[in-house]
Amino acid sequence: MRFSGFRVIKEALTGYKGWGSLWRTPEPQASYDYVIVGGGGHGLATAYHLAKVFGAKRIAVLEKGWLGSGNIGRNTTIIRSNYLLPGNEPFYEFSMKLWENMEQEFNFNAMVSQRGILNLIHTDAQRDAYRRRGNAMRFAGADSELLDREQVRAMYPWLNFENARFPIKGGLLQRRAGTARHDGVAWGYARGADLLGVDLIQNCEVTGFRIENGRVLGVETTRGYIGAKKVGVAVAGSSGRVMAKAGMRLPIESHVLQAFVSEGLKPFIDGVITFGAGHFYVSQSDKGGLVFGGDIDGYNSYAQRGNLPVIEDVAEGGMALMPAIGRARLLRAWGGIMDMSMDGSPIIDRTGIEGLYLNAGWCYGGFKATPASGYAFAQLLATDAPHPTAAAYRLDRFARGLVIDEKGMGAQPNLH
Amino acid sequence: MLIPHPLLGLRDAQEFTYLGDASLLNRPDGMAEGAAEAFYDYVYLRDNPAGVHRELWFHEQGDRSWLVVTRNTVTHEILGAELARDVALAAKGGAQ
Amino acid sequence: MTDLAPITALGGSLARVQSFGALAIAENADLALASLALRRGAAQPVPMGLSLPGPGLWHAGNGIAAFWTGPGQWMIEAPGRATEDFAAVVKQAAPECSVTEQTDAFTAFEIASTAGAGPILALMAKLVNIDAAAFGPGSATRTGLEHMSVFVIRRAEDRLAVIGMRSAAGSIWHALETAAARLQGD
Ligand SMILES: Cc1cc2nc3c(=O)[nH]c(=O)nc-3n(C[C@H](O)[C@H](O)[C@H](O)COP(=O)(O)OP(=O)(O)OC[C@H]3O[C@@H](n4cnc5c(N)ncnc54)[C@H](O)[C@@H]3O)c2cc1C
Repeated sequence: MRFSGFRVIKEALTGYKGWGSLWRTPEPQASYDYVIVGGGGHGLATAYHLAKVFGAKRIAVLEKGWLGSGNIGRNTTIIRSNYLLPGNEPFYEFSMKLWENMEQEFNFNAMVSQRGILNLIHTDAQRDAYRRRGNAMRFAGADSELLDREQVRAMYPWLNFENARFPIKGGLLQRRAGTARHDGVAWGYARGADLLGVDLIQNCEVTGFRIENGRVLGVETTRGYIGAKKVGVAVAGSSGRVMAKAGMRLPIESHVLQAFVSEGLKPFIDGVITFGAGHFYVSQSDKGGLVFGGDIDGYNSYAQRGNLPVIEDVAEGGMALMPAIGRARLLRAWGGIMDMSMDGSPIIDRTGIEGLYLNAGWCYGGFKATPASGYAFAQLLATDAPHPTAAAYRLDRFARGLVIDEKGMGAQPNLH
Repeated sequence: MLIPHPLLGLRDAQEFTYLGDASLLNRPDGMAEGAAEAFYDYVYLRDNPAGVHRELWFHEQGDRSWLVVTRNTVTHEILGAELARDVALAAKGGAQ
Repeated sequence: MTDLAPITALGGSLARVQSFGALAIAENADLALASLALRRGAAQPVPMGLSLPGPGLWHAGNGIAAFWTGPGQWMIEAPGRATEDFAAVVKQAAPECSVTEQTDAFTAFEIASTAGAGPILALMAKLVNIDAAAFGPGSATRTGLEHMSVFVIRRAEDRLAVIGMRSAAGSIWHALETAAARLQGD
């Protein structure tokens, strides 16, 4: 089944009877060449690229719940490539380029919308920092524009420019950044992978690894043992507890991040805005709801729900930036568990165990990375060599003093 | 979350800041054999359990005590709290 | 000539006082403060005849008062003595301890009720996440008030003191004033 405008009209006229399932529901086979653990965005994108780009066969994705039940369906959908450090920026720009072609490539509407992201500047020092970042972005081939106060005012006149403590002095704009429909991305990759013969196996939790003589032979699951030549783990917030089953301790703590949606409002925010003085960022969904978030709760958690102090903090940040939202009612709030790594950057690498590969540590920023992470992890799994833009995401960088610490916070995961 | 402060009773977790795994109390000896490896482990690697976790909280908007709080990371239930000082001294053999 | 007349933490030449129904909030510009900390292994002193209170408590006597601020640490208060070198007086009374002048670091607000404990408890419930019912006369603690760190002292059934950072005096006043006015129904 191919999606097209013509097809949508045809289905509308024939009672939608022609839409089938987007993917098969296969029984797990006894063994595969590649087993990907975790059916989130990264796991599905990995399987898709393994099959599509690297021509791999006999691939399975094992997901303990349903596809898209993790962070891929819980995030605030921002995609951008506005990082500073050389270990990060080329990778995120590679990802941005993949976003730009993804929907045509996998023939699925992921509602990728390059509506622009504006990072607000409130102090002179912040302007210097953003100018530097903007230049770093351009070095990596990304777009960036430094706006002055009046240019920001022209875009969003209702922001609180006169805030006594945090006056808005300008902004760093990346026009190619924006949002995408998060679960649409998961479904698109899932469908694309399925069409290429990948087995997507849901309700299949990996409970252990069979490792002999330093080599992985397969995985124990709630649906029985599954053999594998290579196993790639991409379980987002669960990396710590899954890799513990392979006897590994990671430079990662699991933390909860919350997200919020207001009642539907008339369109008034056509891009993504981040507050540079507090922890608040906001965009407006096509349904009109304000989608916003802030800081992580700040303590180890596997609970998939946060606590009230952060809700207050986020609401206060929102009110400081855009007092107009004071009367909007909050419709929903939820939490997702993320790997917070020790330097705030991810890991895509081999492990000390032959045949076992790790994709982890995405913190609160792995949605934008979904296509590139899948591509790079697939390349590593298929060729044992890293993708050039992901070469810095090594597991041993902490031991070697090569951390990629965008925020300069040190080994304190809840501050990244 | 309410933290049962050993001296002050139940206190709002918002008064505290969070550091992380209580194993951070056990700083390795920088002069010992294999110190670099021990410090890598100490600074970067974590057990990160899903379940009972012993962790360091600082009563910043309070009496400025460091506490070792035992908490379930799956339910957020708080199972107990001790003064980190007492924990550290007990580990050293109880001597003052 | 330059006017060297002192001003209070709130910027006035006189301490600010305002009433909100049964509650009156007064800036206390005359309170002297000194912190006292035990050195390792030292015995607990009885400065100027005042026995120092245990955790979470405040204790007045002999014209001064003290509240517990942390293990082995107290704040000593002396009403009406803000212009003296009060820290030196405390140091003399407790020479084995570390004593630091705190008068100019903090600002105190005294809240009095003319209708007993009720309005005090209602105000606390609005301002701090402390179990007000268990915070009887003689209680003292540091806590958060609109993200600012403050000491709260229940001096009597009908009296509460809030001591916070001097540089935040205006913000603390604003928080107290707003909460008190709302209780009054304004
Ligand atoms: C509230 C929130 C907002 C966010 N906002 C943004 C944003 O705006 N922009 C951005 O770039 N990033 C954002 N992120 C981060 C982003 O969502 C994640 O980094 C990214 O989704 C993680 O990769 P994933 O999609 O593969 O994770 P997931 O979807 O969580 O996939 C991991 C999967 O592994 C499965 N799994 C776990 N254990 C096992 C097991 N033992 N066996 C089998 N399967 C298992 C889980 O069920 C899950 O489905 C946000 C995150 C949160 C929580």
